[in-house]
Order: sequence, then structure tokens, then C-alpha cells
Amino acid sequence: MSAPPANITLTSSDGVDISVERQVAERSILIKNLLDDLPEEANTESIPIPNVNEVVLKKVLEWCEHHKKDPPASADDDADSRKKSTDIDEWDQKFMQVDQEMLFEIILAANYLDIKALLDVGCKTVANMIKGKTPDEIRKTFNIQNDFTPEEEEQIRRENEWAEE
Amino acid sequence: MAVKRQLEDLGDVAPRKRPRQSNRDHIGDLSDELWLRIFSHLSVSTLCTCERVSRRFSAIAGDSQIWKEHYYNRFVRPRAARLPGVKDAQSNGHLYFSSKLSKWLDEDSLVKRGRETNWRKQYKLRHNWTRGNCDISEIHVAEQPPIPPLLVRLQDGVLFTVDSIGGLRAWSAKKERRLLTAIPLNCRNSSPPTSLTVDAQGENGDQRVVVGFQDGHFSIYDLDRSNDAPTFRHSYSHAPSTNGMLTAVAYASPYLLTMTAGQLLSLYVFEQPSKDSTAEIRSPPRLLYSLKSHTVHPPLSLSVRPSSTTILASIAYALPTYFSGWSVGVQELKLSLSGELIDSRLATSSNESRRTLASSLPASLSPTRPGSPSVGSQSDSGPEADTSRTQPTSLSYNHPYLLLSHPDNTLTLFLVTSTSTSLSISPGSRLWGHTSSVSGAYVGGRGKAVSVSSHGDELRIWELEGGLNSLSMRKRLSAGQLSVRVQSSQKSSELQEQNLDVLSDAIAQRGSGLGLAMASRVDELSITRGWVGFDEENVVVLREKSNGGQALVVYDFT
Repeated sequence: MSAPPANITLTSSDGVDISVERQVAERSILIKNLLDDLPEEANTESIPIPNVNEVVLKKVLEWCEHHKKDPPASADDDADSRKKSTDIDEWDQKFMQVDQEMLFEIILAANYLDIKALLDVGCKTVANMIKGKTPDEIRKTFNIQNDFTPEEEEQIRRENEWAEE
Repeated sequence: MAVKRQLEDLGDVAPRKRPRQSNRDHIGDLSDELWLRIFSHLSVSTLCTCERVSRRFSAIAGDSQIWKEHYYNRFVRPRAARLPGVKDAQSNGHLYFSSKLSKWLDEDSLVKRGRETNWRKQYKLRHNWTRGNCDISEIHVAEQPPIPPLLVRLQDGVLFTVDSIGGLRAWSAKKERRLLTAIPLNCRNSSPPTSLTVDAQGENGDQRVVVGFQDGHFSIYDLDRSNDAPTFRHSYSHAPSTNGMLTAVAYASPYLLTMTAGQLLSLYVFEQPSKDSTAEIRSPPRLLYSLKSHTVHPPLSLSVRPSSTTILASIAYALPTYFSGWSVGVQELKLSLSGELIDSRLATSSNESRRTLASSLPASLSPTRPGSPSVGSQSDSGPEADTSRTQPTSLSYNHPYLLLSHPDNTLTLFLVTSTSTSLSISPGSRLWGHTSSVSGAYVGGRGKAVSVSSHGDELRIWELEGGLNSLSMRKRLSAGQLSVRVQSSQKSSELQEQNLDVLSDAIAQRGSGLGLAMASRVDELSITRGWVGFDEENVVVLREKSNGGQALVVYDFT
């Protein structure tokens, strides 16, 4: 088997072609499985990514580029053993310093493209935004409508008193 | 082309929740599944905060899988480190949360229940046990103290009481706490009940109760829980015995073990009723074996452990010794299923090893003349050497744990080792924590124990799994972390202040902060009658009021 072509082309949802190293694109399990399943000559075609626009796709590929040397995610399906802490490595922290809209777009893209490590970084970032906040602050942060009556909220607060530290 | 179609199909399967908008409600963009993933990184207290944000957050944060993992990490994994044999697995780093059954140690009953298990509820329950948080309520069972005293057992959320006035009664220990059903005792010669035991039957949750009486006869009742209104059914009464009052009974279907005041131990077997028979009165049991004892003093505890090939009947009892006060003994009878005695073994707690343990260190430091009285006094002053001079107030045996309570504010824990070749009891370990005479203690499976002080104002929960032989357990004992004092979650600052004054320095110095918990004073003048028991959700204590009324106090940890 000859070496696969170094570069492939992805087409974003808004129709922009992006050329990227195959190894980088293969951080996405979705793309990797697709390439593996295809006859080689088809690899020259561009691959449409209908759920991700150009800005987000470029951002995701930036992450993939930086992490292209990481060991591939283990096939352990019972993947609960992933580290529980919300520690994020420094480069990823900087990478995630984006507005909330972008952050959620990255999470959705990582979920769609099946890039587990990126999805985890995104989820941890959101988790860190929740930590240490009051319910009101959480609502404000994510612009959530409070659909509890004051009585209901008070009741939940009392029921949850046991967990306060 | 194929590529395109494939990806477009995928796109259809996972469509975007909504097109990108410039306004700010992104929360709806993420599916519940993704929020679940985010919440899986949150601590328990943060999850509880999230439950107050909105209905959607509340539903996601209460997800059972998240709580299952928290439960595992907090309550199962730390235990693994303490249990010999599991340690190796941990050092390999394999002991992370897993839904695989094998990694749940013996808590698999929860996992086996599978989808029905509400892990959030279990976590909270366990958390409250650890902290000693509970709600307290009372069930009044009698206006006057019956003679002999009321007998109580608790099993699977049902409290059974029996006395000569009220007969046999069953109470719900769950939320409503009401009388489920009652049946008068059909005792001949109006002989009062003197012992009580409960055996859980597997089929449709029926529970079988055995009551022993003063005239030596026993009766069997089945609590039928198949419909909404449980009822007792009298199924058998045995003829009175010439050997006197039944002081203790133990039942493990189909075996019954009885002990009389005349110290006669008897093991009976009931013939299994044929499948189609609905006869309520069953044929009399066959006497398998009996044994006359001369040294068994109350308090004592009987147990029957049937296995596929043998029956193990055991009796644990307090034992007066000539030199060092009270100790404990266990006698085990191993019988074949047909009733032949295979083996009979007796073990007592070894006082010798205890003495050497305590005296070896000072002896090496300061060589004393042989026969010097200081050796004796040294060993007496050692914390381990000091056996109780007074008769224990209660004894509870749940293999392998044997727990004695003493009037001198302490408890003693023994570990019983029973192998195919030997039976032995470890030297006792003293447990401190109570500030008044301990009137009752009960040890359950996995070494969880509950003890109560005679003045009824102190209830302690102990985690004694694995005994006190490991260094880590001893550290926790000296740090006062082995037990927690139970407190009502209905806080009242007044009561707290009052109790802070009462609390002795000893408790304050225990340091953990838990000792400063507020006392659960239900009634200043109440005293406990010594009976205490627990199941998964409740601790129940029998209490006598100043006016003689009897009440069961239920400590609810849910």
C-alpha cells in the first residue's frame, strides 16, 4: 500500500475549501473512518463537512494541528476512566479563550466530528464557568430563563442543603 | 459522490438544533447529552446548585449516571484501599469508576438493581450516614412499660414489636410511620413473649417472624406483604418446653435455633412445604441437635448460617473470667443437612495476647524485677489491656463482627475468624466516643454499627469494616473519625448552644468537629431500653419516657 496523500481537502458548510494534512484531519474519528473506508483514488475529492462553518472548522483544525502528535484516543468504550478533574493544559486554556458562542460551536463541532479530547476540553471549560457560581450567576452567564416559581426554587434549595460544604 | 452522500446523511442524522443566531441563548444549542458530559465534570455541591437553575438543568444534573460515578468514587473506591486483596488492583490504577460489577466490591446489590437504582438518592443516603444527618420521629407503641419489656426487630423498613399487651405488631419505618398490622398472641396460659427474630423470605417480600415465650413454646407468623394491606398469618405453634423460657431465637429458613433459660440450645428444621400446599399450619419441626451449656451468660446472640452442604449454628456470649473481667466466647456447631454433628468448636477472646501486646513495650524500656507489681499495673493502664470489669450491657454478633457495649462509656470490637479448620476471636479493640454508659449496640453487615447511650441523648454510627488491625484504622480511631454522632437536621440554634455547654472537653478534643454536633434530644427525661437496630435507611431506638410510655425513635437518613 502506497503512502496516503499528505493533504486532503475539507469543505465547510458555507462552501469554503480548506486544505489540511491528512494526519491532522484524522484527529477527527469521523473523517478518519471515512478515509479508511474509501478507495484511495477517492481521497483526492474534497470532503464536505455540512455541520461546521469555515470559522469554526479552521479553529478546530488549529487544535488538531497542535495535538496531531498526541497518542490516539484509546478504544476503551467504557471511557469513564477519563480524568475527572477540570484541569486543562495551558495551551488548551488559551485556545478556549473565545466568546461563548464560539465555545459552544467548538463543542458541537467536536461532538459531530468525533474528536473526544477536544470535546472534553470544551466541556471542562464550560464546567469551569459553572463552578463556584450561584444559580443566579449561572443563569446570567448562560442567559437561562428561570422557569421555577420562587417557592419551587426555595424547596429545591432546602432539599439540597445536605450537599453544601 | 459516495463521500458526499455519506456525509450528508450523517448531517441529517445529527441536525443542528437551530441555525446560528446572533442573539445570546446558546444553551439550547447543546443537547442534553452534551450538558450531561459537561455536568460530569462537576462536584456534588455544584450539581446541587445547578439543580436550582432551571427545570432543564435540574433534570440533567439529577441524572443517575453522574451520581453513580460520584457514589463509586466517594464510597466504594476508598473502601477498596482498606480491604486486603483489593489493594493490588488499585496500585495498577485499575480502580477507577466502572459500571462493571466486579469493581463494586460487595455493593453490587445496588448495581444489580440496575436502572431502578436512584443513585442520587443513594448518594444522599450514604452521605447522611457519614455525617450523621437525619430526621427524627417517634412511634408510640405503649402507654405503660410491659413486663417483660417490649421486644423489637427491624428489617427492610418494617419494625416488628411484640409484647404481652399489644401482641405482635408490624410498623412501617418508612415515610408515614404507621401501624401496618397487628395480631394478638395466641399464647396458652397467657405466657408473655420473651424473644423475637425475623427472617426475610425471598418470595414476594414476605417476612417470617418467630416469637419465643416464657413457657418455652414458640410461634411462627408470616407477614404477608403481597397486597397493599399487609397482614400477619399465624402458621405454627410449638408445644411448651420443659426447659423453661426461650431467651433467644434465631431463624434462617428452614432452620430455627433456640436458647432456653436452662441453657439448652436446640436446632430445629422445618420440612419444606410442598409447592401446591397452602396449609397455614405446618407440620412440627424436627429437632436436629441440642446442646446443654453451663457457661453461657446473657447477653448472648444466636445465629444460623445455612450453606449448600452444612448448617453453621453459632452462639456468641459474654464470658466472665477470673482475672480480667468479662470477655467473649463463640461456639460454633457445624452440622450436615441431615443433622449429623460434623464439628463443634469453641473460641474465646485471647486475653494473653492482649496482655503481651501492651506490656511488651514498657518491659523492654524499663526492665522490672520478675513479679514486680508494676508489670501488672502497666498492662492495666495500657489502652488495650483494660478489659471491662462489669458485665456488658449488650452483645451483637454479625459474622465476622462481634460488638460488646459497656456501662463504662465504651464498646469493644472483636473479629471472629471461622475457617474450615479453626475458629478464633481476635483480641478486643476498645472504641471510645460515648460520654455516658452505652446501653445498646448493634453491628450489621460490612461492619457498620450503631450504639446508643443510656440517657438516650447520644447515638453514634461506626464504620468498622475490616476491624482495627490495620494501621490506617487505628489512626482513624485515635483521630475520632471512626464514628459520628447523629444529629437532627432540624437545626435549632438554642438547642445547639445549650448542648455546647454540656459537651465535655473530651469531645471537643476529638478535633474532627463532628463531635460538636448537636444532640438529638427528643425528650430530656427519656431513657433507652437498650434496643437499637438499623436497616439501609433508618436507625431505630427503643425509648422509655418518664411516664413509662414506650416509643420507638426513628432516625431517618433519607
